[in-house]
Amino acid sequence: MKKLRVKSRIIVVALAIGLFLIGGAISYAQESETITFTVRTRAKPPMENWRGDNFLLAAEELNADLKAAADPRRVEIELVQDNTDWGPYVSEFVLSYGAGEAVDIWLTGHEYIGTQAEAGRIIALDEMLKEFPTFNLVIDGLWDSTRYKGKIWGIPQDAEARPLYFNKALLKKLGWSQEEIAVLPGKIEKGEFTLYDMLETAREAAAKGVVEIGNGFWTRPSNGPDFTAFYYAFGGETIDFATGKLVLDKAAALKYYKFFYDAAQTYGSMGGLGLGWSDSWHPGVSGSKVLFWVGGTWQWAEWAEIYLKEQGGEAYMWENFGFALIPAAEKGGKPNSLTHPLAYLISSQCEYPDLALALVAKVTNYGPNTRHAIASTHLGILKNQTEYKFYKVSRLLSETLYMLDYTTFLPNNPYWGSYSTITYEALAAAVGGEFTPEQAVDFVVDGLQRELGDKVIIR
Amino acid sequence: MKRRKQSEERGIFPLSNSLKTRNWNFSRLQGRLAPYAFLSPALIVITLFFFIPLVMVFVLSFTNLDMTNFGILEWWRPANWSLDNYVKIFTNRFFPKILGNTLIYVALTLAFFNVGMALIIALITTHISRGAGFAFRALWLLPRITPVVVYIMMWKALAGPAPMGIINNYLLGPLGIGRGEYLLNTSPWVFVILVNGFIGASFGMILFSSAIEAIPKEYSTASKVDGATTWQTIRYIVLPMIKWPLLFVTTYQTLSLLTSFEQIMLLTDGGPGLYQTEVWALTAYHRALTSYFGNIQWGYGSAWAVVLVVIGVIMAIIYLRVFKFGELVEEPKIDRL
Repeated sequence: MKKLRVKSRIIVVALAIGLFLIGGAISYAQESETITFTVRTRAKPPMENWRGDNFLLAAEELNADLKAAADPRRVEIELVQDNTDWGPYVSEFVLSYGAGEAVDIWLTGHEYIGTQAEAGRIIALDEMLKEFPTFNLVIDGLWDSTRYKGKIWGIPQDAEARPLYFNKALLKKLGWSQEEIAVLPGKIEKGEFTLYDMLETAREAAAKGVVEIGNGFWTRPSNGPDFTAFYYAFGGETIDFATGKLVLDKAAALKYYKFFYDAAQTYGSMGGLGLGWSDSWHPGVSGSKVLFWVGGTWQWAEWAEIYLKEQGGEAYMWENFGFALIPAAEKGGKPNSLTHPLAYLISSQCEYPDLALALVAKVTNYGPNTRHAIASTHLGILKNQTEYKFYKVSRLLSETLYMLDYTTFLPNNPYWGSYSTITYEALAAAVGGEFTPEQAVDFVVDGLQRELGDKVIIR
Repeated sequence: MKRRKQSEERGIFPLSNSLKTRNWNFSRLQGRLAPYAFLSPALIVITLFFFIPLVMVFVLSFTNLDMTNFGILEWWRPANWSLDNYVKIFTNRFFPKILGNTLIYVALTLAFFNVGMALIIALITTHISRGAGFAFRALWLLPRITPVVVYIMMWKALAGPAPMGIINNYLLGPLGIGRGEYLLNTSPWVFVILVNGFIGASFGMILFSSAIEAIPKEYSTASKVDGATTWQTIRYIVLPMIKWPLLFVTTYQTLSLLTSFEQIMLLTDGGPGLYQTEVWALTAYHRALTSYFGNIQWGYGSAWAVVLVVIGVIMAIIYLRVFKFGELVEEPKIDRL
């Protein structure tokens, strides 16, 4: 009898140990449920690396939150970050989605939202956003850039201004006084110095040998968002908000093409189209060969870091370069700028969109966003970010902030790519003297009608 | 019958007729199948990676498959096919320019380098000492064996604006020619043709050199004895004797140049300006695989590629007819005697 009791005690103890071990193993297994999120970003190293690197820190923070909330899930980040061109970058996402292997969090230009939302490759975020109060920090106007068909599909990551830069040293050579140079941005803001005043100045500079012919005014060397700001300056519209369709305003387009035709053919001041970015364009503008040029605030960091480091970087640039809004088309008109926010989108193939959004919420805060803004000279996206201690240290970001009051966006429409290609082809032909402004408009109307049919409204 | 019976009695059984036939059939079948078995790996690879993609590209060219409808459009259904892409190509305002660029590029590169320069190098290097000739030919192979990105970077450095550009700095500057501009912008075609030609010349150079080396020395010796000049020896002995490689290189390199675009893409990407050096194959690439705003149009790009295939096939047929390839490949008449 006694033996039996001892035996049963041993069995009870063994069972208890067994249960304890199994329980421990289960709880361990639960704790170690790790979910890998693939984050894909495009960044120019080293300036823009925080676009992706912020997630590595965010994962640690989120894991701490999950642990505190007794949530057994843990996250880890697989980061894919490089500086590939936009075309291949977008194809990569679309094709990987087709193969069922899309990344979870995808950073991209806001204008791609229309295409991806229409194809069901990304998810609408409206409902989920409410669960993360951090998103209330984002400047209200920036949400418009990620809205498509009434829903929000992405979280703004950064913004910028695309100013008209000018070379102070060359203006001095042309005979401008220190004071005249200093007040130029103000005159542009008030609409007193127009686009054609700029061309006149550029022509004079070439005539006096201050710059080479064709180096008076440069735009970016290939298709891209900047040109749309000029079309807006001439009163153009790109989207009909009632129908969501793309719009071409023929009268504005004619003025727009006439300006670029004049810039190259009449004033002999516009060169730069077709140049390579790193072999000619950046060395040209940063090497004081060009009087006026349109660039982005993020290029300020690029010039300081890559092209002008030996000359003194930013200090040299403050001495020699100035910036202003893109001038108005006519006296007294409104100048403008264009912001092209990048946004984090969440793939519809992501299995845990709640955690993906939680990660995005972590990087959408003053600390992480300011790290990126300062390093890459992009504008912040958060309310009162200018008051944030570490944001204030950037003089450029503080001095260009007013440009957001004049900012414009590209439209979110699936067919923007085709629209942009056709309108740019006409522009390049007008600049090259192959088209008159009227021929350029005819070409665009014909091309848009053939390519997009009733998806575009021509006024 | 008697003998058979005797054999059977001794336990020896002749092979039955049917068995013999079966064996014979089997070995004949084996003989017939063996070549196909040897060919099958290549056949499978070509089918998988050439014919099937070719058929797909052909089908795609009738659809409007692009970034907006990828994964949604059922492009394989005939209901979604139309000739719209082809209409778009032939009514495109830049179609004549791109076609013209392609013809200029192929004709000039072929004439000056892939055949012309190749022949000159072959003639020179086979008429100097063997070692020097070999070394010189090896030098001409360098552009072909250099990775294309490195090769193009070298050309960009050569063409760069003053004071960085090597040509501007060390050649045009001292001679007082030009204004030190970026030569790829001022003379893009010169560089497009030079860059491709320097690579292309080596192919013909090798074939022509070996063909010239194979000409029996007696012919040139005899011509010299008869008092022929060098030019006469080349014109009346060498060129007729290397007619076959000459025609082959012309045909092969024409088709090769028609479809090549990677050097141009890396060098000028079709610019500067609008379509200044854009050739047909590059347009197909631009439309089908790349675009700044990601409006990649696989269907439209495929149509450009299909038209290029048709142009290539037509050119090949013309060459076959004009150069009478049939006569070239038939058995020598002397062997029939």
